[in-house]
Amino acid sequence: MRSWKNVSGRAREVIAQRCGTLVRLLLCCACLLSVPVSHSDAQSGGSGARQAVAIVVNPHSTVSNLSFEELRRIFLGQQQFWADRSKITLLVRAPVAPERAVVLDQIYRMDEDQFRQYWIGKMFRAEIAGGPKIVYSSDMAMNLVGAIPGSIAFVLASAVTPNTKVLRIDGKLPSDAGYPLK
Amino acid sequence: MRKPLAVAIAFTCLAFAPRAHAQDTTSTQPAPQAMPAMPVVRAMLFGDATYLATDRKIPAGFQLGQMVGHVIVSFNDRLNYFGEFSATAQPTGYAFEVERSILRYDFSDAVKVSVGRYHTPVGYWNTAFHHGTWLQTTVSRPEMIKFGSQLIPTHFVGAFAEGNLPSEQLGLQYMAGVGNGRGSVISRAGDAGDVNGNRAWTLALSARPAALFGMQVGADYYHDRVSETAGPQATERISSAYVAWQRERPEFIAEYAMIDHTPATGGATTHNHAGYVQLAYRLTGAARQWKPYVRAERTTIGRGDVIFAPLDLGYDGGIAGVRYDFTSFAALKAEYRRERFETHDWSNGAYVQASFTVPDLGGGDHNPAQP
Repeated sequence: MRSWKNVSGRAREVIAQRCGTLVRLLLCCACLLSVPVSHSDAQSGGSGARQAVAIVVNPHSTVSNLSFEELRRIFLGQQQFWADRSKITLLVRAPVAPERAVVLDQIYRMDEDQFRQYWIGKMFRAEIAGGPKIVYSSDMAMNLVGAIPGSIAFVLASAVTPNTKVLRIDGKLPSDAGYPLK
Repeated sequence: MRKPLAVAIAFTCLAFAPRAHAQDTTSTQPAPQAMPAMPVVRAMLFGDATYLATDRKIPAGFQLGQMVGHVIVSFNDRLNYFGEFSATAQPTGYAFEVERSILRYDFSDAVKVSVGRYHTPVGYWNTAFHHGTWLQTTVSRPEMIKFGSQLIPTHFVGAFAEGNLPSEQLGLQYMAGVGNGRGSVISRAGDAGDVNGNRAWTLALSARPAALFGMQVGADYYHDRVSETAGPQATERISSAYVAWQRERPEFIAEYAMIDHTPATGGATTHNHAGYVQLAYRLTGAARQWKPYVRAERTTIGRGDVIFAPLDLGYDGGIAGVRYDFTSFAALKAEYRRERFETHDWSNGAYVQASFTVPDLGGGDHNPAQP
């Protein structure tokens, strides 16, 4: 094994250069890893602040306002019927969607694992016959809300279409200051 | 051995059976109506395997726990069937059991009526976790509601009314039931009829206060006449209460039950007490899959209790362990247990358990576990 003293000057320069490059690469990686990625940036593709999430129901629904606690009970499956005794059909967006992150954070106060365990537990205890209906796009959510009486869903406020009804939460619409689902 | 196999095959068939209903769409096509024309069948599975080393004189080594299957059938948006079936390893084979079989009609959130076989709503654990080993943080249940419990009537055959009470801020719920009560073997429900003609009844109240999101508190009362085969008869009254903080940072469960027996032949009422306190904490950041826990429990049997005194049910114990969730649906738990049964010395045990669930095997549109 050759010692460092036996290495020629040119070879030492090359080794030093490569080591320097390696160190710089490692430093860059460390910087990238340590840069805090904000939740909202990650969700909105870096477009800025997190968008408001609208709560939408079938356009024929007589409900126009819910308190945040009522909304939470509905989304937790603790309230399964509307005041007119029609059945509530809960539509929940599949993981990764930014509006799902808002709802899990603000309404459920759970992470994905806790959310799954919560619904499995409710089915296990025979409190519900099935978990929420999973939707895979805003279009799918809006179409199903428009078609299923008694359904309720959440979408980004910018994705709301005319065939649904946006609920006020604690008297506020998504565009209002103090709206809770942002 | 054939029965569990048949059950497993039945579950598999149910899981992969075609599900003809209007909502079962993953496209953007709107469903024509809210409810399916045909019953919707869903199924879940729970299972576990445990390695046990102990200085108690009980079989140690590897133990296959209960394989528990759930079948949930929605006939329409109000009528549902909940079935729970277990296969439990025994020295001579597998014991097949109908754990729950409930047909329920939901009139509204305030009134849901049902008939069948239930987990008795006494305390918290018995209805919250029971056969769902994966659902519970620890390796095993508290001793007061252990598998085959004689202390608490864990199952109930009868009818129930349940629902929400008007209380937005308190989140009150009730559950009232009448049924057969304990069978002639007191660890079993009266599945084939009431053994003494005295119906048992129970009333449970619980609250989930909005201001304390994640908190559940409850109290319940259970009344029955106990009639053991060729044994004494006594009136049984169980009063219990619990507090459960269901968020994981921390998780806190405490439950207490007082079981009173008054001999049918006259004599003083005796009081038996049982309870436990469990604390767990889900770690954060890179260690979030880990959840250390501890539990302390005690059962004291009243001197001269006509039902419990001969059964050696007194107990003191403490456990400390850690749970590691290596996926969303499977966990590994390691636990140390120090315990003493009424007439025995203290013993020590170490348990390692793998538990899992297969959620909503029929899955798809209603499956919170997907994609």
